[in-house]
Amino acid sequence: MSQASVKRKAIDAKRIDLGVRVGSLALRNPILTGSGTFGYGDEYAHVVDLSAIGGVVTKTVTVKPRAGNAPQRVAETAAGMLNSIGLENVGLERFRDEKLPRLRALDATVIASIGGETPEELETLLRALGREPGVGAFEVNFSCPNVAAGGARYWADPARLERTLAQLRPLTDKPLIAKLSPDVTDIRDTARACERGGADALTAVNTFVGMAIDLDRMRSKLGKATGGLSGPAIKPLALARCWEAAAAVKIPMLGSGGIASGRDALEFMAAGATAVQVGTATFVEPEAATRVLAEMREWLAANGIARASELVGRFRAEHAQEFGTLGAARNGGERRDR
Amino acid sequence: MITRERAGRIPSRTTKRAPAPAARRTWRQVRARVRVQRDYGAGFRWLELDLPAGFAAPVAGQFVQLLLAAPSPVLLPRPMSVASVQRAAGRLRVGFLYAPLGAGTRALAELEPGDAVHVTGPLGRGYPLDEMGTPVLVAGGRGVAPLLMAAEALARARRRCEFVFGARTSELLVGLADARSRLARAGGRLHLATDDGSRGFHGDVVRLLDTLAPRLAAPLVLHACGPHGMLAAVARWATANGARAHLAMESVMACGTGVCRGCPLPRSSEARAPVLAQPSEAAEAAALKGNPEWAMCCTDGPVFEARELDWDRVE
Repeated sequence: MSQASVKRKAIDAKRIDLGVRVGSLALRNPILTGSGTFGYGDEYAHVVDLSAIGGVVTKTVTVKPRAGNAPQRVAETAAGMLNSIGLENVGLERFRDEKLPRLRALDATVIASIGGETPEELETLLRALGREPGVGAFEVNFSCPNVAAGGARYWADPARLERTLAQLRPLTDKPLIAKLSPDVTDIRDTARACERGGADALTAVNTFVGMAIDLDRMRSKLGKATGGLSGPAIKPLALARCWEAAAAVKIPMLGSGGIASGRDALEFMAAGATAVQVGTATFVEPEAATRVLAEMREWLAANGIARASELVGRFRAEHAQEFGTLGAARNGGERRDR
Repeated sequence: MITRERAGRIPSRTTKRAPAPAARRTWRQVRARVRVQRDYGAGFRWLELDLPAGFAAPVAGQFVQLLLAAPSPVLLPRPMSVASVQRAAGRLRVGFLYAPLGAGTRALAELEPGDAVHVTGPLGRGYPLDEMGTPVLVAGGRGVAPLLMAAEALARARRRCEFVFGARTSELLVGLADARSRLARAGGRLHLATDDGSRGFHGDVVRLLDTLAPRLAAPLVLHACGPHGMLAAVARWATANGARAHLAMESVMACGTGVCRGCPLPRSSEARAPVLAQPSEAAEAAALKGNPEWAMCCTDGPVFEARELDWDRVE
């Protein structure tokens, strides 16, 4: 977005209203941590003030504990990293009995990420956690690229997504957020299916399936052939998927993919995200979420935008005629922004 | 091979290690300045950083994550074992021995005194140097770095150590002069070994342990650092000879703080056994960490006792 199109008189950074709403969940500000990059919340609590950021999305929890994949689990690539963690987690029981009480004590807004190999497993998780105090919302991980069963491919079926969310919806009063995979032919199909099924919001996007080969040993740089790519390398890709999905649904979007600065976060918001998730950047800089928030506040102040929510979808609003197809966007006026 | 009797009984569980520093979460990310950057021979480099106040002093075996200031050719920080810690005017001066082999470490080698670098740490669990027994420090190549620091810490505790230093060739006995002078101050006895016999004992460090162990007072406590193949051999030697061995492992890492779960090492069957069926330190630790199959190099280690890992599956 050209700065000129939103330029107003600078205002005091302290006067900026950063609050946003995701369904019935009010967030202090739009900066969340991405699932799998912030543990169960307390791991970084000595360096990040969890009550100052918008919220914490916890590591995906499954019904049974999972040991995760064999090494190697991470490999650095150009401006990004591949991971093949395989949903290692402590399982439902320990999450509820050990991790949640610690998070409650930290005054953080908690979005619990849940994952399942079947709709029934997700039901079990929501039945157990749906009325737990201290959980503000649930993010359903429909998009892990690194598990043999119940991963991104399994959940890429719009009919399955719609049916499953319809089953899950009555099990909790809290917002249900569906986290989408970017590796689909048209993300608008999965986005709309989740909306029809009763999702209150969508997260776009999870990691992209990627690979790297060690030529000397002619084997994958990961324990498995492929992994999930994250980091700055995917930001333009993720932004486009988020924008497309946002244009296809009426429910709020959470933007995710390579966000490492306030400007990155604001781009996702301009493209239609109500809030954003900082993920891989935390591995590089544990205090990344705090810095992204400060940079966002600064930019909003310098541009005279008093409420962060004002920016949401601004790019969309100014480019309404391009909503149609991706082809139209390609041929059309994105160039006019420059 | 010495017998179990000669090496003595495995120290009892009164030697229980101190709680992992990572669990107390004392690490911070700070901006440091390069103080010294120099050649260390045989293609290795020595780097010394000035750290600001508030950074906890690392102990031998712990590591930090070094992140190059932007613009950097790499995204992630690089884990690096601490080789020396000095205090000067209320500040910490921390040294590292490294080989500029990849894109990250090559860029690190370009840094000059005064340049900034981000340091996260101290991270992980170091050597339990207070464990009872005769300390035998076993270094392979550049694995010498944390063990010189361990020798100095033992000297401060008025404990004499045996220092076994091995490499393929005499030239790969990295920083031997430095090791000699630091060990002389610490009162440690140096034993050299080279695979090609060009310096000291002709053979690897495990064969040297065979000849050395009978002359030492049991029980022996080994603290080792080097290539994983050497560490596996040391671990097997310790298990066969009734000694304890603490081995500093390496892994590719992303966060270094236990969050990403990216640096798994295979736990031994003992460590995987249910706590109640077979109570042991390793099983207790595994149960607490919640993953019976994989230990994380960054927070469960990087120093592991020989019985905690499955050496047949360590890569």
